[in-house]
Amino acid sequence: MREFLLPKEGFRAVFVIGKGGVGKTTTSAALATAIAKKGYKTLIVSLDPAHNLGDVFMVKLSDKPKELRENLYASELDMEKLIKGYLKHLEDNLKHMYRYLTVINLEKYFEVLSFSPGIEEYATLEAVRNILLDGDSWDVIVFDTPPTGLTLRVLALPRISLIWADKLIEIRKKILERRRMIAKVHGDRKFQLEGEEFILPKEEEEDPVMKELLEYRKEVEFVERVITDPNKTSVVAVMNPEMLPLYETERAYESLKKFQIPLNMIVINKVITVEREIPEIKVKLDAQKRVLEEIERKFPKTEIIKVPMFAEEPRGLEWLERLGGMVLEG
Amino acid sequence: MVRKIIEDIRAFLKGFGGSFKEQSTEYIEFEERELENVFALILMGSFVGIPSPPTTLVVRLMPHMIKEMHVMQQRAINLDDIFGEIAGMFDID
Repeated sequence: MREFLLPKEGFRAVFVIGKGGVGKTTTSAALATAIAKKGYKTLIVSLDPAHNLGDVFMVKLSDKPKELRENLYASELDMEKLIKGYLKHLEDNLKHMYRYLTVINLEKYFEVLSFSPGIEEYATLEAVRNILLDGDSWDVIVFDTPPTGLTLRVLALPRISLIWADKLIEIRKKILERRRMIAKVHGDRKFQLEGEEFILPKEEEEDPVMKELLEYRKEVEFVERVITDPNKTSVVAVMNPEMLPLYETERAYESLKKFQIPLNMIVINKVITVEREIPEIKVKLDAQKRVLEEIERKFPKTEIIKVPMFAEEPRGLEWLERLGGMVLEG
Repeated sequence: MVRKIIEDIRAFLKGFGGSFKEQSTEYIEFEERELENVFALILMGSFVGIPSPPTTLVVRLMPHMIKEMHVMQQRAINLDDIFGEIAGMFDID
């Protein structure tokens, strides 16, 4: 049994990544089913806006975890709702802080903001953070992710956000240090703007900017800590035995390595196996053979699992359990 | 008469000391203003086309940035006279 798919310290998060259409959803559903069968309380969450997790399980899913069988729960995150919720949260924050601005119709502004670049990644990260915060309710959480590009950006966000937060904290510390030096000579300084008077904060504990920065850093660091911990997170890449998915897997591997997120296993899905030679698909089979050799050569230290192309689509719990058993046990 | 002289001396010394006090922090204040300006500029970077920190962070910090935004605004207004300010600080006429 593959240890990196089972909980070690608390819960285990498994991210299933890969190019669009290679079978990420089927593989993640199969994995979740097999892990649940072993007696681990498992949640599978689809982060993909083009939801088809429900189709694979042949049930209707929502953003609340639904029990499919003993120990197996599934949910599909409604990205549109999430983005709206994320923006609503920001809007409330703004309205609360700038009460005098309520005359301006902020809703209109936020309607456009929902199409802003990057918003989807931030909303996805926020959703992942919330699920991980509640991680102890589960033994294993399997994330069925959107195609590689978006997933890699989401997984990279915590590290990038940490770099930003650290840089800003550094500058803020310098500002506060200078304020303290000046205050030693002149005493507490007041700042007046349009009739309102503020006392300039000089200590880290009394500066609201510093407090927000540290709070934000703590939140992001939590996600970063979980996803870079090999005892808590595993990444499974799914690909088809073709050249393009191989290139994409390679790029994903490099990106993940840069962000210190472990890629533990590659599942090669839809491998065609024939008992006798069929001249009509010889070219396809030769290409497949080349890709399989290439994978072994390029990922010598990563576990590689070959899943054959089935005569029928693996849907429904029984099928998924069989398929998941292959991935889990090898 | 003597009291008047003492008061004058006291006022002179106070003014003298005050001026020293002012001068002693002049450079640090300048540095502080510049750092505040940079801090606000980084957060508002997207306005001038430079990459900005994560939106969430910016929105969370913005409400507390009245002083820094004021400094940034003043910097933009006085930008053509920045050398004047520095020259003034070093007593260059």
